[in-house]
Amino acid sequence: MEPIGKSHGALVDLLDRVLDKGLVIQADLIISVAGVPLIGVNLRAALAGIETMREYGMMREWDESIRAEGGMRPVPPGSPRLDEAAKAVGLAERA
Amino acid sequence: MAEMAATQESAASEEGRYLYCIAEAGERVSLGPVGIEGREVHTIPYEDICAVVHDGPPEPYESDDHEVIKAWVLAHQRAVEAAWARLGTVLPLGFGTVIKGESGGGSERNLAHWLTQEHGRLKHRLDKVRGKAEYGVQVFWDLGVVAHGLAQTSPEIRKMEEDIRTKSKGVAYMYRQRLENLVKGAVETRADECFKDFFRRISQHADEVKVEKTKKPEHPLQMIMNLSCLVHGNRYEELGVELDKIAQMEGFSVRFTGPWPPYSFASDA
Repeated sequence: MEPIGKSHGALVDLLDRVLDKGLVIQADLIISVAGVPLIGVNLRAALAGIETMREYGMMREWDESIRAEGGMRPVPPGSPRLDEAAKAVGLAERA
Repeated sequence: MAEMAATQESAASEEGRYLYCIAEAGERVSLGPVGIEGREVHTIPYEDICAVVHDGPPEPYESDDHEVIKAWVLAHQRAVEAAWARLGTVLPLGFGTVIKGESGGGSERNLAHWLTQEHGRLKHRLDKVRGKAEYGVQVFWDLGVVAHGLAQTSPEIRKMEEDIRTKSKGVAYMYRQRLENLVKGAVETRADECFKDFFRRISQHADEVKVEKTKKPEHPLQMIMNLSCLVHGNRYEELGVELDKIAQMEGFSVRFTGPWPPYSFASDA
């Protein structure tokens, strides 16, 4: 597997870093940028919308191609109760 | 007289130093007009390290226009990348740090003073990231596929499914609740096992690994793991091979991004 860069759909991954990470400088040296974190969140939300759509599209294609090749079996339709149970589990958030 | 006043005013309006990164280079060089809004980016050296900056107004960058901010943030990244390519090892800053001048000294002097004070710590961190790049690794699973796989290998779950099929409606309802709990428990245990196993395997191909918060993607796949990995030179290739093995597991997929400047590894903590 080759890593993907910002021109191939990883712009959000990069923005996460440019907006949230990096070396921190002590506060008395810097001009207060109180508005920036908020701007960061808004910007990311705006960009993430576009990006996620594209990513979803890409992943669907990938998913379908993998399944078509028989590399990954779809869930058999025979166990609807289990599917319901799986849905009820919801997202397992990991902090 | 008017000319002199204009010069002073222009000097004051360029008194801020917008900071892109710290780099391992001891000379004063210009990287050209690669900064935010095409500003000229240059270094402020102290001994064998330097701050990479542009001269600008001593004000934060603020705007309500997403397109404007996006252009700034991408320009920030491009300048960091230019410094990374030209000067080698860098400790990037996030978007938006402007150094101010105090009454006692200008912003450049403040910055030089800070570099002097922090030299040992910065140098230590530069040593840690030299020759390395940051990569993002996110592991997703398809909950339906994973839960189904778990159910097939669990006699307890299989029996309960069978019971639900054969019992009366009322009893089946109760059993279904218990089945949900069983599957939920099995899924959580599996997520823990996977996290530990993948973390151990991925760590073998990285010099440092940071665990990031998982995000909720807007598609059926769940993110079970979000890592930033600091990887030396071509070792990203062996990391890619390891990630292929994870992605080949039924119901799993992996998002592998980079190389990025070491944003997540610029500070010690």
